[in-house]
Order: sequence, then C-alpha cells, then structure tokens
Amino acid sequence: MEQTVGKPERSQQAKIDPITLSVVRGILETTQREMTLSLEKTARSSVFNLAHDYSTALFNATPEMILQGQDIPIHLGSLIPAMKVIADYFGDDIHEGDLILHNDPAYGGSHAIDTCMYKPVFYEGKLVYWTVCKGHLTDIGGPVPAGYNPEAKEIYAECLRIPPVKIWDRGKPRHDVLNMILTNMRARRDQEGDFNALIGACQVGERNLIRMLEKYGAEQVDACVDELLAMAERQMRSLIRTVPDGTYEGTAVLEDAGHGFGDFDITAKVTIEDDSCHIEISSPPQIPYFINSYEGNSYSGVYLGLMMFAQLPPPYNEGLYRCVSVNMGPKGTLCNAQEPAPHMNCTTTPMETLTDAVRLAFEKAMPSKVAASWGHANGLNIAGWDTRHDEEYVTMVLATIISGAGATPQQDGWHACGPECCFGALTSGDVELLEHSYPIIIHRYSLMTDSGGAGLYRGGSGTAWEVEPLDSDMTFIMFGEGRRLPALGAAGAGSQMTDTKVGRLELKRDGKVETIRDNTIGVIKPGETVTNMNPGGGGYGDPMQRPVDKVLADVKLGLVSLEGARRDYGVVIEDAGSLRVDLDATRKLRAA
Amino acid sequence: MNSKYRLGIDAGGTFTDFVLAERAGGSRLYKALSTPSDPTLAIRNGLGLIAEDLGVDLEEIIPNCDLCINGTTVGLNALIQHKGARTGLICTAGHEDSIEIRNGHKEDGYRYDAEYPPAVMLVPRNLRKGVRERVLSNGTIRTPINEEDVRAACRAFIEEGIESVAISFVWSVLQPEHERRAAEIVREMMPDVPLTLGSDLYPQVREYTRTSTAITNAYLAPILKRYVTAVDAYFRSLGATSPVRYFQSNGGLAIGQLMADRSVYAINSGPASAPKAGLHVCAPFEDQNVITVDMGGTSFDITLTHEGVTNLNKNIDFLRYRIGVPMIQVETLGAGGGSIGWIDDMGLLQMGPQSAGSDPGPACYGRGGTEPTTTDVNLVLGYLCPGGLVGGRLPLDRAKAEEAIRSRIAEPLNISLEKAAYGMFTIVNANMVNGIRRVSIERGYDPRDFVLVCAGGATGAHISAIAREMGISRIIVPKLASGLCAFGQIISDVKYNHMATCPVRLDNDEAYARVNGLFRQLEEDGTRQLRQDGFTDENIRITRSLEMRYLGQVHECTVEVDSFDITAETVERLKDAFHRRHEQLYTYAEPASTVEVVNIESTLYGVVGKPDDAVLSKGGDSDGALKGTRMAIFSSSGEFTRTPVYDGTRLGAGDHITGPAIIEETTTTIVVEPGWAAELHESGSYVLQRQHQG
Repeated sequence: MEQTVGKPERSQQAKIDPITLSVVRGILETTQREMTLSLEKTARSSVFNLAHDYSTALFNATPEMILQGQDIPIHLGSLIPAMKVIADYFGDDIHEGDLILHNDPAYGGSHAIDTCMYKPVFYEGKLVYWTVCKGHLTDIGGPVPAGYNPEAKEIYAECLRIPPVKIWDRGKPRHDVLNMILTNMRARRDQEGDFNALIGACQVGERNLIRMLEKYGAEQVDACVDELLAMAERQMRSLIRTVPDGTYEGTAVLEDAGHGFGDFDITAKVTIEDDSCHIEISSPPQIPYFINSYEGNSYSGVYLGLMMFAQLPPPYNEGLYRCVSVNMGPKGTLCNAQEPAPHMNCTTTPMETLTDAVRLAFEKAMPSKVAASWGHANGLNIAGWDTRHDEEYVTMVLATIISGAGATPQQDGWHACGPECCFGALTSGDVELLEHSYPIIIHRYSLMTDSGGAGLYRGGSGTAWEVEPLDSDMTFIMFGEGRRLPALGAAGAGSQMTDTKVGRLELKRDGKVETIRDNTIGVIKPGETVTNMNPGGGGYGDPMQRPVDKVLADVKLGLVSLEGARRDYGVVIEDAGSLRVDLDATRKLRAA
Repeated sequence: MNSKYRLGIDAGGTFTDFVLAERAGGSRLYKALSTPSDPTLAIRNGLGLIAEDLGVDLEEIIPNCDLCINGTTVGLNALIQHKGARTGLICTAGHEDSIEIRNGHKEDGYRYDAEYPPAVMLVPRNLRKGVRERVLSNGTIRTPINEEDVRAACRAFIEEGIESVAISFVWSVLQPEHERRAAEIVREMMPDVPLTLGSDLYPQVREYTRTSTAITNAYLAPILKRYVTAVDAYFRSLGATSPVRYFQSNGGLAIGQLMADRSVYAINSGPASAPKAGLHVCAPFEDQNVITVDMGGTSFDITLTHEGVTNLNKNIDFLRYRIGVPMIQVETLGAGGGSIGWIDDMGLLQMGPQSAGSDPGPACYGRGGTEPTTTDVNLVLGYLCPGGLVGGRLPLDRAKAEEAIRSRIAEPLNISLEKAAYGMFTIVNANMVNGIRRVSIERGYDPRDFVLVCAGGATGAHISAIAREMGISRIIVPKLASGLCAFGQIISDVKYNHMATCPVRLDNDEAYARVNGLFRQLEEDGTRQLRQDGFTDENIRITRSLEMRYLGQVHECTVEVDSFDITAETVERLKDAFHRRHEQLYTYAEPASTVEVVNIESTLYGVVGKPDDAVLSKGGDSDGALKGTRMAIFSSSGEFTRTPVYDGTRLGAGDHITGPAIIEETTTTIVVEPGWAAELHESGSYVLQRQHQG
C-alpha cells in the first residue's frame, strides 16, 4: 500500500506579479492565523483556549493543502489524507452552505477526540476552497471521561465515532444530528460552545478568502497558489538533494506503559534518491490497547520527523511532501491500524516513537543536522463535579505534558516546550485561568532538577504539575509513556542518572508518597494530591565534554544537582554552599 | 496660559530630536547626537543649540514653555541589551518557574535552530524566591503568608546585591493582602530598593502575564528613576513651570514619578507617537490609512493606522517578554543609517542588524568608524550632500565612505564600488520592505491601500525605493520628518490606564453595582491624579472598556463603552455591544448565553491644547530653489545620472519637482527616484506621487 500525497507538478510559468504573489501568500497565512485566533478566543474547552490543542488549514478544490498552519504538527499531517477522504465520500454532493463534521480514524482522522470541521467555500457558484479546523474536545462520549480509556480492547469502547456527516445542509443546521452527537457527550454546554467556535473559525477563513478572490480574481489567485505549492516543493527537493543517496534505518523502542505486551520496535527505513525520499515503516501487529495508530495519524508522525530534520522556512503546504512517498506497512499493524483497534492515545503514543524512528534514520544520513529527541507526552486527564456551578467537568490537562526539548548541535534544549508531537505549539494555560475553569488548586508548576538529558549540550528540563481537588473527589486518568526510557540523545549523548530523566506520577495520600509508572485511573480527595512529572529532552554529544563552568551554572540555577553533576557530567562539586569545583577529582572522573 | 512655546524631545539610538513649537504656529527642529552612557547630556547639548539659534538664554525659553515633553529610550535599551537592574522575584512557592516555563510555548512554529535560543531570563532561577502562601480562585486565603519565607528571600537578595524587587502571587488580583504584607517586610529590610507589586501594576487575571509585567517593570525601574530624576532636576533648574512629561508606549504622556513607578509603560514609547503624527500630517489630504516608517540611526520602526485607528496591544510578547499593559503596536527592526554592511559565511551581502550607532558612527562621519554603513552608501550613491548633514553641522567624508565600502564589500565580492553601494542599498531596502509586509500583508492589509508617511532623518533617501517595492503610489514627507515622533509627542495628551479585575456574571443587580462602583473608584483616583497635575474637569476625558465573554469562554473581547451606570435596563446596551463585537470578530454571537465581565479599564486623558499649524506661503518657480546637480546612481548597473538638487527651504507651496531629483531640507534629504514627482503642500509636507507603474 504505497501512496504519494499530491502529484508532482512543475511550476506554472504564467507571469505572476511578484507583489500579488506576496500578498496572496500573506493573506493565506493571515487567514489561517485569524482562524486559529478565533478558535482560541471563542472556545469553551480549556484544551482549545488555553492549550492551543487545535489546528487550522486551508485546502484548494483539488483538495490539496495550500496552507499548513504552524499549529500542532500531529494534527496537520493527518488533515491531508482526511480532507481527501471527506471530499471522496461526498463526491458531487457538496454544496454551498454545507458544514461537515468528522472524527473517525477509519476515515483519515487522528484520534477521535480531535474533531474536525470542514467548510466548502464557494465563489461564483463554484467550489474553490475548504476551510478546515481540528480541535481536541474535552469529551467525546464513551465510558471514560475525556476519551482516554486504557481498558478499551476495541475502538467501540472508547468514544462516539463520527464518520463524515453534514451538520449543516445548504446553510440549514441539522439540529437532529447535532443533538444526537451532543447527547452522547459529557459537559454538553462546553461541547456546544466548542462546535460554535469551530464553525466560527471556518467562517472567519471563508470571509477572508472570498474577500481575496473579490479583490484579485480567481485566475490570478489560483496561479499564485500553484506557485506557492511549487515553491515548497522546490525547497524540499533541494534540501533532500543535499542528503547523500542511500538507505538509512532508524529503530526506536516503544516502552510498555502498563499494557503487558512488552516493549515494541518501530523502524523507519528512509531511502534517498537524488531529490526524492521514500519512507517505509515497520511496526508490530496491532494490540488490544489504546496505542494503535491508524494511517492518517501515522502520516503526522512521519511528516513531523521529516520537518524536525528539514527545518525549512515557510511556505508550508502540501508541496513539501510531493517528493516524499510513504509506506506505512501492512494493515493491521501498530502504525497502520484497522478496525476494531482501540487508538485514543495514538497522537502521542506510538506517534512520538514513530517520529523518533524517522529522526534516527535521518541522524544516520546527516548526524550534524539532526536534533536530539524531545520528551514524550505522559500526562493526565481530570474529571469530577464542579460544585461552584453544579455541573460536571472534564478535561485533558495539557500543562501536564509540557516536557523538555531536545538539544541540538549548537545549543541546549529549551525547557518546558514539548512534548515532541507538538514541537512547542501547545501552551500550558495560565494557572489562574485553569483554576477559574476547574475546581482545582495547582500547588506546583515547575521545572524539574536533573530532568534534562546529559550531553555536551543538555536537553531541556521537563515539568512537574501538582494538583489537589478544591472541594470534591477528582478522577485522574493517566496516558502516554516515557516513564522508563528517557528521551533519546543524539551524537553520543546519554545519561547515567536516568530515574530523574523519565516521567512518573506521585500520589500523596495520608503522608505517604506512591510513585505510579503505568497508565492508571484513580480518584483523589481534597487534601490529597497527584504530581505529574514529565521527561526532559535528550542531550547532544558527549556529556563528559560539557565545559565545567556550564555544568556549574546549571547547578547554581538548580537545574542539575550535585549528584547529577557528578554522575552525568563527571564534575565534582564540593558542597552546595561554596559551589567549588574539585578540579583534580573532576579530571580523574572524566578520564575514567 | 500665555506661554510662548511647547518643547518636545525624542531620544533615538543615534540622534535626539528637539521640536520647539510656537503657540502661534510653526515649529523648529534641532538635532543633537544621542549620548547613551549619559542620556541627559544630549538634552543639554540640544537645548544649547536652541538657545544659540534663538539668541536667548535657556532660562528665558524653558519658563516660556507650557509643556516640556520627553520620549526616552533608556528603558528600551536596557531591555534589549539585558542591562537592567539586578532584580529578585518573590512569588508563590511552587510557581517560581512560571516565568521560565512561559506557558510551555515556543513562539515560532516549526523553527528550532541555533539562531533561535530560548528567551534570556531577566530574573535567573536562583533569584526567584517562593513564599508559602495561597489565595484561591474565589479570593479566599487558603494558606496565610509565611513571613519568615519573605525575610529569607530578602536576606538572600541583600547578599546577592539585588537592586529591585518584584512581588507577584497567584490570585493576588483578587486578594492583594499577601503582596502588601510582603511589600512591608521588603521595605523594612531593603528600604532603598524599588518595589513592584503585580496587583498594583497590572491588576488583571493571568498570573504569568502579571508576573512577567511586574518583573520587567522592576528590571527597568531603577534605570528610569535615575533618568527622570536627572531630567526633572535639570528642567527645574532652568525654571520650568510645570513638571516634564514623559511619553509612554500607550501613546500618552505621564509625569516623571509615574514613569519611575510604572517604567514598563516606557519601553517602546519612542515610536508610539508616530501614528498620531502620521494622521496629523495626512489630515489635509483626508487620508485615514497610514503606514509610518521611521528610519533613524539604529532602527526602523513601522506603525499602521487603518481607518484612523491604530491597534493597541495588551498581553503580548515584546522582545520575547510578556507585557500586559497596553502598548501602541510597533514593528521594529535593526535597519538604520548606522546599519553595518557585511559578508556572511555563505558569501552573501547582509546589512545590519549591527549598527555603528553614533559613536564611532558611519565611516563618513570621520570619527574612527571603519565599517561601511547605510549612510556611507547614501553618500557614495550621491543621495547625500558631501557638505554634510544637519545643515552642515555634521560634515561627511566621502573618501572614508568609499574606502569602507571598497575594502569590506566591493573587493571581497570582486565588484565595483558603485555596484557594491547599490547592492547594499537594495538589501537594506528589502529588509525594510519585509518589515512593512509584516505589519500590513501578514495582518491582512494590502499596503497599496495606504499612504506611506516618512519619518526619521535617514528615511528620505529610501522612501521612494521602498514605496516602489511595495507598490505604494503615494508618499507624504513632512519637512519635519526627521523629528516627526517628537512632533507627535507635543500634540499628544496625558493618558493613564486604570485597570481592575471584576469577574461577575451580568445578570444581577449586585454585579451591576460592583462594576459601577469599581469604575467610579478608578475614575475618582484617576481624576484626582490629573487634578493634582493641573487639569480641570473640562480638560479631563474618560473612556471605559470592559473585557467580556460568554460564560465558559476563557478569553475576552474588549468592548468600548461610554460612561453610564449599569442597571437592569442599560445592561442590554452593554450586552448588545458585546454580541456585536463578537460577531464582528468571529462571525457569530450567542445571544441566549450568559455574559460575564472579567476585567475593566478606564482610560483617563488630560487633554492639552495643541499649537497651531503654520501655513507655507505660495511658491512660484521651483527653479529658483535649484542649487545645482550631483551625480547619483538609481540602478543596479551602477551608472551615474546627473541629478538636479533643490534647496527645500527655498521652495514654496505648490512647487512641483519631477524625478530624478534630490531635495535637501535642513535635517533630511529626499530622493525622488525617476518615475516619481514631488509637490510641496502648504501644510509643510511634500507629496510624492508615482508617475507610472513600472
């Protein structure tokens, strides 16, 4: 099953006014940003409005993605196949005023809680564009609040599946369909508000695009859009041309986070030939646990690995992938799952391991260009009763998955801007806004000492988030991994002190602390807390080569402990008060 | 008031501009080199020039000014160079890192490269001290403040030589008691150290924004305080009749004490007066869509005004620091007359962002500079008069300019001197064009719908080339271009933002009373402040805004309203305004949903009278102003064209000049490229019009 996304096309030689080209590009980018802003400002769910766990994109009538927003990478790759499935499904039954809703992974979706809204844009009676957005709702029905059900053996036990369905038909809302969907979801008021926000964002996009067509005319705009696609294609091709021809293989290990099936290998084989690139994925058979990835989602993982490596400047659109072909492996495998595989955790697990495998293959091809792995997502969903408003609350807490970024050949990794699958696009949300939205007390949100991977350049620190329910019981639901295997370093980096580099959950109850490393569902009461800790990023290069003064500076800032300095970097510091380095002992330890 | 003058002083990276406006109409512009190591020195030097020019003592001029206004860059420079005060933070234990976690966000999409490091922390991690205390989201105290923690923090700060302290606790915006108690302890133990409280400075919900704003304020406070103390004292010694007003980034004026206490309002004040000045010079032509571009010695500032309205930003990242308080939206890049040309590792010619500043300055200044700069380029291209800038006060050395360009650019690239110079000109223009794109095209505005207003001494040489690249066909160049920001300051009003947080649902009388009461209190405080400053009620203007949202939303829409008491009847006006705004921005409204207020703000203006505009007398024949010709380059071929040079001071209203031409004003030189024509308007501005699309 091989697929090349989009078809290669030579740049149109029609004369394009360079200023208009710039203007069109600017309008497309602004349109997408305004859609994003509109979602952020209007949504009810904190996953949208505080955490930016949504994405928007524009497609032409083909439909090719003509603008990939710089939002969540994991959402955007999968929108490319999903949009094509939607257009195929309705064929010529697409009309002005239609709005299509969809979340199902078997129809090109990522995970079902990421709900997509598609609005066909018509101009002078003709379908010209699609404005599309995708956002992580707070709930999607099913037995467990917030959708993540580690007990699910099948997708049917996870969520309400929504295949492509029209919620507006030629401008007329289908209240019966919407009501059926909302009836199946918790916290209905929030979900209803979020559907409005998704629709609003699509309309904001439509408004701008129509204005652009009215001003510049469809013909001129089309020529510009084609040129923008061709520009992205040329950029990617010339980058790939710099990578030596050959086949490179990367294998990353996906840890067993409590399902009992053991660790798995995911392998990416990257073949470079002149200016094109073929990526072949192999993964084990799918399992009855929520970490299977359907094909659409796996595209995101592969494209992210490629984009992390490529570091190309905009424009970002489907042209980037014209010279990239991907084979996701046989149906029924972990990275090319089929019904009835449960999947809810897939946007982080196994997606980030898949991204690592692609990254590792590129590391072999060009070790001087690649960055270390970022911390993987390992986080919490919370749910309970909000006595302040006498209503149910449920949400994913994205503050809990903000991990450390990987180091690069030039600098230390950024603190607190992961996880890998989001590449810095998420935000944690302000502590006051979170406490305003949910009946919780956040006791701690901080960087964690010794969490960044050791290296000549250190990985960024991960974060710890400690929560107590305000006045009634709270359910916490753990998801993700990265609690046993630290983020991968690059170019010979590695840590001796690994227990602080990985994620974990600490439950404080009756003066005792329990550490949990498997995906678990639990309940805590006021007076009890859980602290979710997530991993730091991987380091780059040999930690014994890291200059002593840099290690000392990290110690002074509390990012590395005295023990960490000694074990990870071979730097012996006499005591915390004086911070004097024992140079003799350091030399000996580093030489050993 | 029968004062004769108003004085505006705008400090830039290279020059400090002085505009002396006469009540009866007419303004004089003076320039002195900026003195970043002692900013008040430039003020003394500039005032010396004024006294010399008018032939009277400063003691006669300053007391005759109704207002002396100063825009300063001391705060901005300290923030850019990370040379603020050594600052400590006292915060809620467990939340010491929120400022470094920065909401977990990386601003720039897929980018993750060596030229994009994390933001530098103004307060490093070891100087952020947690205190055990906690207020909850309903404003109640869960954990009383641990005073010993505050004392321990102070002891550590004293040991570390901390010069300024910020205090910011979670939910202090609902219950400021703990911050106030901590402040008492800090004052007791560190009596001389300036103190910034989050709940005072930015009393709005959002801990990260509040803490970051407080830290930035604390980081700059000692620097601003030193500065305004020196300037205030100097003007007092000259007999000033009212306190010096300082220009703020919100587009209004403030007295020195407030500037020292609220120094974060100073950070981008320089260019914030440009929109006001831009609209003013465009008023005779009724243009409401205005892009102002200001190229000084070091930087290039752009503002955009659409249909008469300039965006005011709140809660944005400025130089990568989250700032809550309102600021006029300005795009700044490192492209100025002093920007240095260099060749990068890939052999590509680059311009800036490094600048030769005013010391040593461009090579042609002859002060020991050896790097080729934009000014050197303009001299070699024949745009600038070798006789010198600023009316000959600053002679230029063409040989030194040529030598710098030849040795650093032309020879390494193996091209002619002329081609190298035009290449540098092209690149610095492209940098500026990209900046204009960011404020226009990237925000959905077509620059071709705008008039370009030229500000800053160095802009005139580039303005028609920039307009050509952008497809803009109309340019306004005021004779005062070089001091346009200083001019904008003297036509601005005193302006203070007073904010409060007030999270209530708009469906009960108690809520209405609370909002009304808070507004009244803000406005009473603000009015008292303005009265103390000499304003009477008829000169005080108040506008209100509320940040509102539908129940369950987290972000707000700002709704501007006039002053009225909210009651069960009038609340509908408020809600309607919100529904309309929501629909306008986001295409839909939810009229059936509950509406809540989060933050409120009253903006108080102390309105100051404006000096009259002068009217130029009619000209007749532009040939009378022809000084001669100069060889100048207008294309990448590097060929010279014989170009007429006009003395702008001898042109009259209605005089018309066809490009290529160079018009020399005292403090600026305007290059009219081939294909453009200029006409001097009676209001004192040149209107440059493109003659044909090319």
